[in-house]
Amino acid sequence: MAEEKKNNAKEIPDKTGYIIAAGVPLINPGNIFPEGFLRKEIPISDSGELEVIRHYSRLSKNNFSLDANFYPLGSCTMKYNPKINEYLANLEGFCGIHPCQDQRDTQGALELLYNLQQVLCEITGMKRFSLEPSSGAQGEFTGISIIRKYHQVKGSKKTKIIVPDSAHGTNPATASMCGFETITVESDSRGLIDINKLEQLLDDDVAAVMLTNPNTLGLFEKNILEISRLIHSKGGLLYYDGANFNPLLGITKPSLMGFDVVHLNLHKTFSTPHGTGGPGAGALGVVEELADFLPVPIVVKKDQSFYFDYSLKHSIGRVRSFYGNFSVLVRAYAYILRLGAQGLLRAAQNSVINANYLRVKLQLLYEVAYPFICMHEVVLSAQRQKEKGASALDISKRLIDYGIHPPTMYFPLIVKEALMVEPTETENKKTLDNFIRIMVEINNEIDTDISKVKDAPHRTSVKRVDEVRAARFPDLKWSAEKSSKQ
Amino acid sequence: MPYILNTSKDIEQMLKVIGVSSVEELYRDIPSSIRLKGSLSLREGLSEFEVKKEIEALSRKNTPLNRFNSFLGAGCYDHYVPAAVDAILASSSFLTAYTPYQAECSQGSLEAIYEYQSFICGLTGMDVSNASLFDGASALAEAVLMSLRVTGRKKILIHGLHPQYRKTLDTYLSGLEFLVEEVPSDKDGFIDKKTLKESLNDEVACFAFASPNFFGLVEDVQSFTSYLKSKGVLGVMVANPLSLAMFNAPAVLGIDIVCGDGQPLGGRLNFGGPAFGLLAAKGQYLRHMPGRIIGKTQDKDGNPAYCLTLQTREQHIRRQKATSNICSNHSLNAIGAAIYLSLMGKKGLESVSLSCFNNAQYLYQRLEEVRGIKIPYGRRFFNEFVWEVEEAASVMEKLRNKNIIAGYYLGNDFPEFKNRILSCCIETKSKEDIDNFIQELAEVLHG
Repeated sequence: MAEEKKNNAKEIPDKTGYIIAAGVPLINPGNIFPEGFLRKEIPISDSGELEVIRHYSRLSKNNFSLDANFYPLGSCTMKYNPKINEYLANLEGFCGIHPCQDQRDTQGALELLYNLQQVLCEITGMKRFSLEPSSGAQGEFTGISIIRKYHQVKGSKKTKIIVPDSAHGTNPATASMCGFETITVESDSRGLIDINKLEQLLDDDVAAVMLTNPNTLGLFEKNILEISRLIHSKGGLLYYDGANFNPLLGITKPSLMGFDVVHLNLHKTFSTPHGTGGPGAGALGVVEELADFLPVPIVVKKDQSFYFDYSLKHSIGRVRSFYGNFSVLVRAYAYILRLGAQGLLRAAQNSVINANYLRVKLQLLYEVAYPFICMHEVVLSAQRQKEKGASALDISKRLIDYGIHPPTMYFPLIVKEALMVEPTETENKKTLDNFIRIMVEINNEIDTDISKVKDAPHRTSVKRVDEVRAARFPDLKWSAEKSSKQ
Repeated sequence: MPYILNTSKDIEQMLKVIGVSSVEELYRDIPSSIRLKGSLSLREGLSEFEVKKEIEALSRKNTPLNRFNSFLGAGCYDHYVPAAVDAILASSSFLTAYTPYQAECSQGSLEAIYEYQSFICGLTGMDVSNASLFDGASALAEAVLMSLRVTGRKKILIHGLHPQYRKTLDTYLSGLEFLVEEVPSDKDGFIDKKTLKESLNDEVACFAFASPNFFGLVEDVQSFTSYLKSKGVLGVMVANPLSLAMFNAPAVLGIDIVCGDGQPLGGRLNFGGPAFGLLAAKGQYLRHMPGRIIGKTQDKDGNPAYCLTLQTREQHIRRQKATSNICSNHSLNAIGAAIYLSLMGKKGLESVSLSCFNNAQYLYQRLEEVRGIKIPYGRRFFNEFVWEVEEAASVMEKLRNKNIIAGYYLGNDFPEFKNRILSCCIETKSKEDIDNFIQELAEVLHG
C-alpha cells in the first residue's frame, strides 16, 4: 500500500546536523494517515546553533542566581548547590537508564534510592520513606492523601484539616485538593499557634493538623508536644511540612516532636538546585502505622539485591509516573554523604547563627515582627519605612541594585510589610555584614533621597515591571505573525 | 566543615553580637525531652573525592539503555539530545536561580519560559500554556481537575492512557466524588466511537484520551470532537509533543485541553525523572489553569519586560481556593525543551519525527515477515506499536541475552495481553539495528 523508495541521505527532507539518516525505506505518511491527520506547517523557525547559544547566553545575563548573588529568600533555603552533585547526577549510568529497564540493569540506581530512603528515615525518625513526590506540594498531596485513606480504613469520616494562619499557601491548597475543608488557627502574640484556639477548633472531624516547625516566622513551636497530644487525643494526625527543617538537622527529629507524616524539600534542606523554580523533590516519610499507605513502588532490599515493591496493602497508588525525580535524588544523596552527621548538624547551627545575627543587627532600623530568638529565618517588617513612604516592595527592588536578591516579600500574611530573610548556613559573616550595610544604606536613602528607592531598580536590564498591566492584558505567547524567535 | 564559610572566630563574634554564649542557647526554645541525645546515626562525612568514588561505583552498577540494541519506549524515549541543550542548562544562571518572583532580576528565566509557552502553543495550536507541571501523569490529573472546575460536572470518560497515568489520575481524584469510566477500544485498537457517543451526556465533564494512545495508535480525533462539543464535554488529549511535529495541532482538531510529558523534547532518560508535564488550553479556560504562567508586559519606561502573571489562581495568593497546590514546577526542564526546539527548528523536527515514523514502520514491516509473530493493529502509529508472540516474556529474556531489549512487556499491566510487547523505534535506530533485532528474533523463535 505504501509507496516505498530506497532511502539515501539526500532524500531525508532537510535533515539537520543532529540527526543521521537511518537508511530505512521512506514511506509517505500521507499513505498511512487519512486527510486531516497530518500537520502542514511546523510553526517553529530554523536557527543555527551559535544563534541559539548567543540568545540563551544573553538571557542568562539577565538573571540573578545563587552562584552569582546573595539570595536570602525566606522559606526557600537557597544554600549553595555543590558542583560535584551536578557531575554525579549527569553520569551516563544515571541519566542514561530507562525507568522500565530490567531491574538487573538498574541495581546501582535502586541501591542509591534504598540508601536515601534509609538515611532520610534516620534524619527524621520516620519508619519508611517514599521518594516519589516531585515537589514539596506533591509531598503534601501524598501525605494528606495517606491521612485521608488511613482514616477511611479505620472507618472514621473526617472532613477538616487545621492549618495555622502563618502556613505556606500550599498547605490549605493541598487540603482542598484532597477534599478537606481548611480550618485556620490563629497565631498568638508570640507568633506561635494559639493553643487555646486550637483546642476549641479540635473536634472528631479533624483529620490532621499541618504544621511547619520552625514556623514561617522562623520561630520554634515550643508547645509542639502539647499540640501533638491534643490532635492525637481526637484521633487526628500531625503533618510536618519540612520546608523549614534545615535548622533542626541533628538537633531534633519530627518523630520526637510527635509528627506522623513528614515531607522534606530536598531542593531546600538537601541542597539540590532550584532551576528557576524546579525540578525539586518532596520525599515523604511516615510512622510505622502508616507505612502500608505510601505510594508505590518503594525500594526494598532482599539478600544483596534491590527491587521495587508494589505490594503495600493500603497504598494510595501513584502520584506520578515512574519513581520520582531521580537525578534530584542523586544530588541529595551525594550531599548527605559528603556532610555526614556532623556536617548536617553544623549546617543547622550555622543557619541559626546567621539568621539571629541578621536579626540583632537589623532590628535597630527595621522592626522585627516577633523579636525573639529565631531559627533559620527572621521576618522583618518595613512598617517604619512604609510610614516614610517606602514599602517592603520598594526596599526589595532597591536591594537588586546592590546585587542582592530580595527576601521573600509580604509573607507570612500575618506580618505587615513583611521581609522574610533566610541567609542559610553557606553564607559567611562577611556576606552578612555587607547585606547589613546595604540595608542600613537603603534606610538612609529613604530619609535623604527616597526616589532612589521608590524608582528602583536602576541597574537591571529592565526597570520596574508593570505587573498589573501583565494581568490586565495577558500576553502569554508570541503573536501569530511572530511565532518565531528574534 | 563542607560548604560552611564562617570561621570559628566569625562564629564567636556573631554569638557575642547576638548576646548568647553558645549556639546551644539559640536552641533553648526546644524542650529537652525532644532533643536528640547524641548525634544522628549516619556515616562520617566523606571528602569530595570519596563521594565521587562511591557514587560513580553505584552508577557503574547500572547498564545504560544505549549499551543495548533497545526498542523500549512506553512513555520515556532515548532521543538524541544535542550537546548544546545540556551546555545551556548547566549554566548556573538558570540552574541556581529560584522561581522568578522578582521580575527585574529574573528576566532571563522569564523570557525563556515565555518562549517555552509560545513553543507549546505553537505545537498544540492552543492559546495558553502554563510554565510546566511535574510530568505527564500529574499533568493529565491536573487537566482533568481543570475540566471538572470548568464544567462543574462529575463524570470522566477515559481511553488509551498510560497505565501509570491512569493510576495517578485515580489518586488525584480519590478525595473528591467523581466517577471515572473507561471507553472500550474497537477491534482495531482505537476508541470505540459508538460507545463513546452513547456515553456522552450532560453529566460528563471531559473525555480524556491519549493520541498516540499507550499502544502507539493515532486516533481520528476530528471524528468525535463535534460529539463532545454538542454535549458540552471537554476534550482532554494526552499527546506526545514530538509527534505534534507530524500530526495536526489538537486545537485544530477541536480539543480543549492538551497535556503530556515533555521528556521527548530534549530530555534525558534520568530513570524516569525529572522531565516535565505540559498543559495548554483554549483561551477561555485560562483562569482555570493550574501552575505558573509568564506574561509579557512593559517596564515603567515602556520597554518590553516579562513577569509571573495571573497569580490570583495560585496557592500563595488564593490558598484553599487555588486552582492547584502546585508551587515548584519543572521550569528547568521546560527551558530545556525551548532550547531543544530552538536548535532543531522546523527542519530538525520534521526530520526527527519522520525518522521515528519511518523506522517504526520499517520495524513493523519486518516483524510482519517473521513466522509466529502476530500484529494485532494497523499502521496508524507514530513511533511505537504492539506485536504478539507466544511466551513473550521468555522470548524477551532470550533476546536480552543477545543484548536486545525488545520493548515494553504488556503482560504485567494488562493480564489479557500476556503475549504482547510494545516496541518503540525512534530516530536513533539505524536500519542495521532493526535488521539485527529481526534476525535475532527469528533465531530465537526458529533456531
